Amino acid sequence: MTSAIQPAGGGALDRPTSSSLADVIDTILDKGLVIDAFVRVSLVGIELLTIDARIVVASIDTYLRYAEAVNRLDLSQTGQKGLPDLLGDVQRGGAKRKVKGAAEGALEAAGQKLRELTDVLDQRQPERGKQREE
Amino acid sequence: MPASAQAEQAHAGKARIGYYIYGIVPSDVEVTQDARGIGDPPSDVEVIPHREIAALVSPIAIARPIGQPADLTAHEHLLDGAAAKVPVLPMRFGAVVTSQDAVVEELLAPNYDQFAEALKSLEGRAEYVVRARYIEQAVLGEVLSENPQVAHLREQIRGTSEDATRNARIQLGELVGQAVEAKRAADTQSLVAALTPSSVANAVRPPSSEYDAGHVAFLVETARDAAFEDAVQRIADEWSERATVRLLGPLAPYDFVQTAQPGA
Repeated sequence: MTSAIQPAGGGALDRPTSSSLADVIDTILDKGLVIDAFVRVSLVGIELLTIDARIVVASIDTYLRYAEAVNRLDLSQTGQKGLPDLLGDVQRGGAKRKVKGAAEGALEAAGQKLRELTDVLDQRQPERGKQREE
Repeated sequence: MPASAQAEQAHAGKARIGYYIYGIVPSDVEVTQDARGIGDPPSDVEVIPHREIAALVSPIAIARPIGQPADLTAHEHLLDGAAAKVPVLPMRFGAVVTSQDAVVEELLAPNYDQFAEALKSLEGRAEYVVRARYIEQAVLGEVLSENPQVAHLREQIRGTSEDATRNARIQLGELVGQAVEAKRAADTQSLVAALTPSSVANAVRPPSSEYDAGHVAFLVETARDAAFEDAVQRIADEWSERATVRLLGPLAPYDFVQTAQPGA
């Protein structure tokens, strides 16, 4: 399994030799031919273990996460000028924390251990943050 | 098959075998020794032909649920390996049919014309998926410098607890979310524009993470794959300060097949 955020040697492009589990999930659970329920095909009722909540849902949780990420932004790293220097916090904005809807967190970094992904599979339907009205 | 017979089969016990379907291929294919199917231990991979097409299948025990991570990767790796050599119409994960006869009579025969035509149009073509992900610091820095209101709200929440400034944080987060979404749309468009000259078709995928910068599948002629890959490399270099770019492929054309329709 390869990590998503690792540049290939000698260039900025990440070019792994095979799909990671996160890539696979994005592809084969959503795409490809489907045997339509109305087609006369004798489908066997096999129990399918799948992961829910793979799409990005804008929710209160999302907004709070963005706010905290902005809060912790280390401006000297981004080269921003003309804004007050408010460094007080050395924690990098890149730290990702586990939040509700852990399936999304599990997919954010390919290279996630299979054990953690199995935890996701075992989880009941994750709670969603309240949806904002659009 | 009537519902009662299906239920009967499902309850009939561990001995029952079903045929797991990976995809549709031309009939003149051979399965290599190292092909591994889903399941643990990996099931055998077989070809069930019908005229000029065939189904790539594995016989599996019905009693065992499928969908473990290893099953998902086995499904995709088998198809991607096949797609490197022959045109393939990949199935979505999870299609199981009751018998070999059903594979021919209910899947291949009724859809023969569509499958054969689709395979023909995929000859010499493969799918690549380009995925760009923002570097969090960089994109938030951009948003901050481009949005005075975001900067102002950031001042407000500085050094406060989430409870104390919850509303301001929600407002800030929503503004940031909208800004990131706008950047995602613009960057996705740039990606498509840059790669259209060296591809045959594209399909934009929905984002699966808050920091996705673009996620697009491309159908590429294998004869032009070097030009395509060079173009992706150029984008990766151009974006290297603000996003990481990842290229997958060649893959089976998951994003470029249509849902199966009943035979006419």
